[in-house]
Amino acid sequence: MTEALDLTGRDSDAGSEEVVLTPAELIERLEQAWMNEKFAPELLESKSEIVECVVEQLDHMEENLRRAKKGDLKIEKFFPHILAKEKTLHEGELSSLSPEELVFAKQYMANTETYLKNVALKHMPPNLQTVDLLRSVPKPDLDSYVFLRVKERQENILVEPETDEQRDYVIDLEEGSQHLIRYKTIAPLVASGAVQLI
Amino acid sequence: MDAAEVEFLAEKELVTIIPNFSLDKIYLIGGDLGPFNPGLPVEVPLWLAINLKQRQKCRLIPPEWMGVEKLEKIRDHERKEETFTPMPSPYYMELTKLLLNHASDNIPKADEIRTLIKDVWDTRIAKLRVSADSFVSQQEAHAKLDNLTLMEINTSGAFLTQALNHMYKLRTNLQPSEGIQSQDF
Repeated sequence: MTEALDLTGRDSDAGSEEVVLTPAELIERLEQAWMNEKFAPELLESKSEIVECVVEQLDHMEENLRRAKKGDLKIEKFFPHILAKEKTLHEGELSSLSPEELVFAKQYMANTETYLKNVALKHMPPNLQTVDLLRSVPKPDLDSYVFLRVKERQENILVEPETDEQRDYVIDLEEGSQHLIRYKTIAPLVASGAVQLI
Repeated sequence: MDAAEVEFLAEKELVTIIPNFSLDKIYLIGGDLGPFNPGLPVEVPLWLAINLKQRQKCRLIPPEWMGVEKLEKIRDHERKEETFTPMPSPYYMELTKLLLNHASDNIPKADEIRTLIKDVWDTRIAKLRVSADSFVSQQEAHAKLDNLTLMEINTSGAFLTQALNHMYKLRTNLQPSEGIQSQDF
C-alpha cells in the first residue's frame, strides 16, 4: 500500500512541479521541516502542501493528529515584519504564511493596535499618539548561531570575521558533516533544502 | 529542543525483536512492517519494539555493537583521540537508555554496558566543553562538529547558541556603526 503521492507546487502559473513521494519520504520531509522551523531564528517558508498530504494520509489511517502549526510564538513575536514582507511579495515568490496563519497574523496585529490604543495611547498628548510597530517590535535576529547537518555538498561558503583582525575566509561543506555557524550565511541553503538544522 | 524530542527522533531507529505472536504485514505511513511470526526475528522501529516489550509480546535483541568488548574498544578509542570519533549509532545514548530500562533481561552484562556508555558520554561531553570554550575564547566564526550526536549537541546547544548571540551583539556594538542597523526607540 506504499502508493506514491503527488506533491504539487503551489504556484501553478509558473508551471507546477510535481514530485512523487512515498509516504515514508513524506514523513521524513515533515520531520525535516519541523526541525528547520524549530531551530531557525526567522519564519521559514510555509510547507502547506506537506501538511495537506500528511493530513490526507492520517485521515486515511483514522488518526486524529494535526501537525503543530508552525510559529511557536514566532508569528506573535515578529508580526509587523512578517505582514510587511507579505505586502511586498513579488510574483512567483512563495508566501511564508499559510492562509489561516495570514488571517491569524492580521487579527493579532489589529488586536494589538487596538489594545495599545485603548490602554496607553489614548491618554498621551495628541502628537505622540501613533506608534510605528515596524520600528518598535524587534526584528528576527538573523545573526543567531545555529547547528546544521549538510545534506548536499556546498562549496565556497563565505564565513565573515568576528573581529577586526580576522579576514573573511571560505569553507566547503561536505555531505554529512555538521557545523556551528551564524544563520545569515546559510539561510538560503535551509530554504533550498541543502542543509538541515539540528 | 527537549531531550524528549530527541528521543522521539531516535525511536525511528530499527531494532531486531523476536515476537511471541503472529500478525500479517501491517501497512503504516512510515513503511510496511512484518509479517510477525512467533520465534522468528523481525526488524521494527524502536518505538514499536519498546511498546511490544512492555506488553510482553516480544523479546529484544541488543544491537551487535552493544557488547562489553565492542564498547570497551569504542571507549578506549574515544579517550585516545582528541576529536570526536564516529559512534556506532547516531542515537547510541537513547538506544542504550531505552533498551536497558525496558529490556535489561534480554541484554547480557547490562550494568557493565551502562557504565561503559556513561564513560563514553562523559569523555565526549568533556571534549565538547573544551571545544566550545576555545570557540568562544578565540572568537571563531564557524565550527565543524562531525560525529557529534544530536543528543550531545542538544545538551549544551541552546545555551551555547544564546551565549554566542549575546557576545556577537556586544561585539558588533563596539564597532562604529556604518552599515549596522539599530532600531531607534
